[in-house]
Amino acid sequence: MTQPAANCPNCGARIVFKWSSSVQTVCEYCKSILVRTDADLKKVGRVADLPPDGSPIQLSTEGIYRNKSFVVVGRIVYEYDQGAWSEWHVMMNDGASAWLSEAQQEYAVSFSSTTPNLPAAAKVEIGHEFTWNGQRYTVSVITPAHYRGVQGELPFQYWDKSDVTFIDLRGETGRFATLDYSDPEPALYLGEFVEFEDLKLKNLRRFEGW
Amino acid sequence: MSAGKPPLSGGPPRPQVKALQCPKCGAAIVLRTFGQAETVACGSCRAILDAKDPNLAILQQFEIETSDIRPLIPLGTRGKLHGTDYEVIGFERRHATVEGIPYPWHEYVLFNPYKGFRYLSEYNGHWNDITICKDLPSVEGGFSAGSGSAANWVGETYKHFQTTEANTDFVLGEFPWRVRVGERATVTDYVHPPRVLSSEKTDKEVTWSIGEYMYGREIWDAFRLPGSPPEAEGVYENQPSPLTTNVQGIWMAFAAFAVFLLAMMIGFDLLAKKEAVFQQTYHWERAKTAGESSFVTDNFELKGHPSTVELKTWAAVSNQWMYLNYALINQDTGQAWDFGREVSYYQGYDSDGSWSEGSRDDTVVIPSVPPGQYYLRIEPEVDPAVSAISYSVQLTRDVPVLGIYGIALLALLVPPLLVSLRWYTFERSRWSESDHPPVQISGLTASSEDDD
Amino acid sequence: MFRRLYLLLGFLTLGTVAFGQYRGWSLDSIDQVKNVPKSVRDNPGSYRSVYSAYHHYTGGK
Repeated sequence: MTQPAANCPNCGARIVFKWSSSVQTVCEYCKSILVRTDADLKKVGRVADLPPDGSPIQLSTEGIYRNKSFVVVGRIVYEYDQGAWSEWHVMMNDGASAWLSEAQQEYAVSFSSTTPNLPAAAKVEIGHEFTWNGQRYTVSVITPAHYRGVQGELPFQYWDKSDVTFIDLRGETGRFATLDYSDPEPALYLGEFVEFEDLKLKNLRRFEGW
Repeated sequence: MSAGKPPLSGGPPRPQVKALQCPKCGAAIVLRTFGQAETVACGSCRAILDAKDPNLAILQQFEIETSDIRPLIPLGTRGKLHGTDYEVIGFERRHATVEGIPYPWHEYVLFNPYKGFRYLSEYNGHWNDITICKDLPSVEGGFSAGSGSAANWVGETYKHFQTTEANTDFVLGEFPWRVRVGERATVTDYVHPPRVLSSEKTDKEVTWSIGEYMYGREIWDAFRLPGSPPEAEGVYENQPSPLTTNVQGIWMAFAAFAVFLLAMMIGFDLLAKKEAVFQQTYHWERAKTAGESSFVTDNFELKGHPSTVELKTWAAVSNQWMYLNYALINQDTGQAWDFGREVSYYQGYDSDGSWSEGSRDDTVVIPSVPPGQYYLRIEPEVDPAVSAISYSVQLTRDVPVLGIYGIALLALLVPPLLVSLRWYTFERSRWSESDHPPVQISGLTASSEDDD
Repeated sequence: MFRRLYLLLGFLTLGTVAFGQYRGWSLDSIDQVKNVPKSVRDNPGSYRSVYSAYHHYTGGK
């Protein structure tokens, strides 16, 4: 399968898409946010430098989740009152798109879910229970956050958001769900907590002295 | 396609150790945690700075009484724990006050950019390797200060050991939380040696951590420190019992031996022939034995393998005594077994009722007598008050000696008793430092629930 | 390590008891005397003064 390639409309650098259905990417050289249309790439904005962070994960880090290998292709960084966290966009080896969230050294993998009738943010409180896909989830944290930056390839357009609300839910046996209120329509992601060691990550970031 | 490769100037910078200057005193500040530290303490001027602020805003200034507080593991040292290298990046001293006496201990913050943070604690030469719990424990039996009598975590039950208030006295290096000198937290420890489950409660949050005991030697080896670790004093709350033997195991071995011993006892009793070899009743009269009182019996034969020979004496004594000098003599080899036995029996009445002392018969077992032709030489001595008395002598061959089993049982009992005693004193020593000290033998206080 | 020592002690103890029972050991302390002459059979009185290390004074002979 050939990887579609194009040139950045702003600086001319070569852009390679690792994932055929990527909608948006960031030019590493000029930090332009590029959206893919049928014909070509369109610059829609510019992303500021991401805050320095100590995450060991970087773009093109590889790992294994439930016996399927994946590659990290993109990232969204959010900030909230206790700091920042990252949602890493990963591409599974069967072509599926998933999210590896990294917050306070806790990791979770989740997948987008097309469950209808998701609740509005104002109506949800801590302790509420929902049942999706036959699993029960309880609301654990409501986090008002704001978008800080993007990196790499994303499966949708996402940039220059201001304040977004995330509602985290926990289920039994490490199950995890997130209601994402970035868009007018809420989005649901279902997944589970994972241990850093279990992901068997390779090609991690190199730290000076380590 | 562009010719050459433009520099990757826009991506996030490759994480580097940051060298900065303290805004108060200008001393060098090194940040080694790639942006993950919240605070950093200046080693020169005792200012606590905001590590997330590029200008290192001053959060707190503290004073210390002595300038002598130094970490045993210098900051910047790397050591291998559980197969991963960690660097010591922070150090603090805290204390708790018990009955007016401050007890200080030290904590070290360890860092690995891929594995995150880990902590070491040190108290009186006892070390613990500590990580934050991801799963929360459940607490049972709540009492004071929100702590319970036990806590359950990952399938194990931990017993409440102590609830105290920890005060931070001194900090050095980087911390992944906003540390302040003088901050207080209620710390509750639950133990299941070699582990300890700790909850730390401030008015803002509760954090649970799990610690595993480590010996000073292991720390020195892991961090390749020179010299020797400080001696461990006393028994620490989660210090594993040094007994390499399982107390239960040794008692089970004892039980097995005891059963075996019992089987042997029954077996040998069944095998013993207990052959009656000689029996005779005599009538002693003082008048008749005025000259030589000793006499010999007729010959009798002992057949079979060398064995015990039991000699039973019976005499019709009533508030009298009789003493018999015996010699069992082998007719052919001239070998003899020589001994004396006393038979005495007294009885009477007094204010408490009737009493008696002694017995009319006596038994002795002669060991390892080989087969052959034998006779007995008997020389009686009789209480002067007696003028005549009847007595009988009976010999039985190959009788089992039960007393030997008793001695063997005692010998087998000593090691498990010693092991249990050692275990008991060790555990007593452990719990004497807790909120639930063992009952004082002098009877001063029963187990109390001192809140410190 | 101690477990093994104890097992050794146990087996030694049991073995010693078995051996002792077979060989006729007893707990009483009995003096052994050698070379008692055959003349004692005819003259029991001669035994006491010469051959017995154990001596019980009878206030007589």
